[in-house]
Amino acid sequence: MERIKEHPILGTCEPGKIVHFTCDGKTLEGYEGEPIASALRVNGIMVHRYTSKRHEPRGVFCAIGRCTDCVMIVDGVPNVRTCITPLKEGMKVETQYGVSRKGDVK
Amino acid sequence: MIDINAKLKEIGPYIPEEDDDLLVCRCEEVTKGEIRKAIHSGLFTIEELRRFLRCGMGLCQGQTCGLLTRRLIAKELGTSVHEIDVATSRAPMRPVLMDEASRDHKGE
Amino acid sequence: MSMEYKEMVVIGAGPAGLSAAIEAASKGIKVTVYDENARPGGQLFKQIHKFFGSKEHKAKIRGFKIGEELLNEATKLGVDVVLNATVMGLFAQKELTVLINNEVHHVKADAILVATGASENMVNFRGWTLPGVIGAGAAQTMMNLHHIKPGNKILMVGTGNVGLVVSFQLLQAGCEVVALVDAAPAIGGYGVHASKLARTGIPFYLSHTVKVAEGEDHVTGVTIAEVDSHFKFIPGTEKHFDVDTICVAVGLSPMTQLLKMDGVKMEDTRGGYVPACKKDGSTSIPGVFAAGDVAGIEEASSAMIEGRMAGAAICEYLGYEDHEEKESREETLFGSLENLREGMFAPKNRGKKIEKTEEGIDISQNLLRHGFIGDDEVERFPGVISKKGIHPVIECSQNIPCNPCQSACHKGCIAIGDHMTSLPVVDPESECINCGMCVASCPGQAIFLVDEEEDHTLITMPYEFYPLPVVGEKGMALGRDGHEVCEAEITNVRTSKAYDHTALVTMKVPAKYAMTARFYKKGEDVL
Repeated sequence: MERIKEHPILGTCEPGKIVHFTCDGKTLEGYEGEPIASALRVNGIMVHRYTSKRHEPRGVFCAIGRCTDCVMIVDGVPNVRTCITPLKEGMKVETQYGVSRKGDVK
Repeated sequence: MIDINAKLKEIGPYIPEEDDDLLVCRCEEVTKGEIRKAIHSGLFTIEELRRFLRCGMGLCQGQTCGLLTRRLIAKELGTSVHEIDVATSRAPMRPVLMDEASRDHKGE
Repeated sequence: MSMEYKEMVVIGAGPAGLSAAIEAASKGIKVTVYDENARPGGQLFKQIHKFFGSKEHKAKIRGFKIGEELLNEATKLGVDVVLNATVMGLFAQKELTVLINNEVHHVKADAILVATGASENMVNFRGWTLPGVIGAGAAQTMMNLHHIKPGNKILMVGTGNVGLVVSFQLLQAGCEVVALVDAAPAIGGYGVHASKLARTGIPFYLSHTVKVAEGEDHVTGVTIAEVDSHFKFIPGTEKHFDVDTICVAVGLSPMTQLLKMDGVKMEDTRGGYVPACKKDGSTSIPGVFAAGDVAGIEEASSAMIEGRMAGAAICEYLGYEDHEEKESREETLFGSLENLREGMFAPKNRGKKIEKTEEGIDISQNLLRHGFIGDDEVERFPGVISKKGIHPVIECSQNIPCNPCQSACHKGCIAIGDHMTSLPVVDPESECINCGMCVASCPGQAIFLVDEEEDHTLITMPYEFYPLPVVGEKGMALGRDGHEVCEAEITNVRTSKAYDHTALVTMKVPAKYAMTARFYKKGEDVL
């Protein structure tokens, strides 16, 4: 999904400082301090996790840290709300399966 | 005090509906059918349903499904949603790591 | 560990919380505001539209500007706004636990204001858990705070003010909104908000709801269908849209968990499950107050006044003001609040079917059903006149508390009177000077300047999209329903600081389209 560059009311949306992070091992770019979820969305990633019972994909739903649907494993910690966690250089983001990494025993 | 047996008789047995596999609680993945079945087995309050099915007990603590569940109970019992109590509120109000919840600020 | 003592704690740095903090701090109270978000302002910073109301309610100022004003004022008064501070619990004896920087702070306060706002309601349909189904608040957060398009092609579920306003914001962000659907038989929000969308060509499907959100890993399409009066799907009425996003705006619920946890007496009302409050926000527990959406869902403008009133009540509670001072402050504020609670959309009219305006004019049924006033209905409203030369045409047909157009005109063309909810009347005898201030001042974008000449008409409309049309450009004039009515040429595009980001675009159309052409679309082949 695209970033908004020029907005009729908000004006020019200044680009942030570019940082690098990985999602499931792939190196991606985003703006420092923006929510991890925003950076993922710009990179075309919508599935943040698969649920434990029905193995269904989930992504951003409320975008303000309430619904907890967008949680992922960030720097090894599961259940991190990516919609309110700021992106930092070198972050390691992984798709969450249930409450674990893919293939990990629950 | 509600007479459970009388109420069960009044609302009739659980009859499957076409969309019973629809999720109500997104966090704990509890379906409409599971909740309906539980209601028809005599669990008429959100508190009982939470303990029995874990709906509303996940990470978001029922923020999304609370009202949906109350509406479902009201519909099955043939009453208004205003008659169905909301869930008890308890701390912590937001998901917090056990480690953090037990780490008190030591002061300046 | 240590217990931190505060004079006054406010939970939530939104419009109500900040207003209360300002009111109290201005009397010398030391106020600490906790907010769980990284930015203060609550929802104000996502609200980029101009507010309704009158000057005292900050009408015609955009929400995020109001947020900035409140924050500056609070900061100047020494209010301590603590961000990323999650209040986890509120307990007896005015004790709270706050999570800040991965540590729990134990806090006791002499007075506490809970201003936690609301959370979004949801509907569950097949596929509602797929990535790409989002709340309207999520869409606003993504586009207006983080400057990301929530999707390219979007279906909006819900036609309350949130659904209508967010749909418009999606267009401003460069997204396509394919349709708005609502299970109810009539549009729930302001008609003027709906009309802004309808004239761009977006269809409204009332008595319709989502049957299934389609897609494997994320939304790729949606099927909606008509529902009967029992909200059951009517077979054979399905309609399919290719979309990548479904946005849900089906109401808000007060976020009262902290109050309930504290043991405050609650009541279930039409405005939601709320604390039983006096009008100054005091709850059943002395020293614990509530204001804003948490005390009943209303607009941000009301929340600001409620916050002020709770602030004044806390001043009295803590001994900074005597009872008479508080009462007189409260009376002033309450009068202002009552003005906002008038009109067709007032809390007291929720769920009521209104057939006529306060003036006794039949409500436009087309507006409720399709989002625009029918060409055959529009002339019965007092803001709509036709005469030779330039004059405003105000397509304001519902009684809402709003009057910036009246003060925008210095030539006396527009009259609302003292009663804020009255429909604006355009005086055919007054001389319009084409200043455009009324057009830019209308939060509902319902005002047009129409210059009726012998062989053509010039129509000036509010325009808040990019790219702006350019003078000399040719395209099609669209009717209120968004359908093409005739060819049009752009003759003027005005922007000005006084217009506050609302551009005034003038198009030339044949004379006979003076009362039907209301929007402009650039010609497909024109580069």
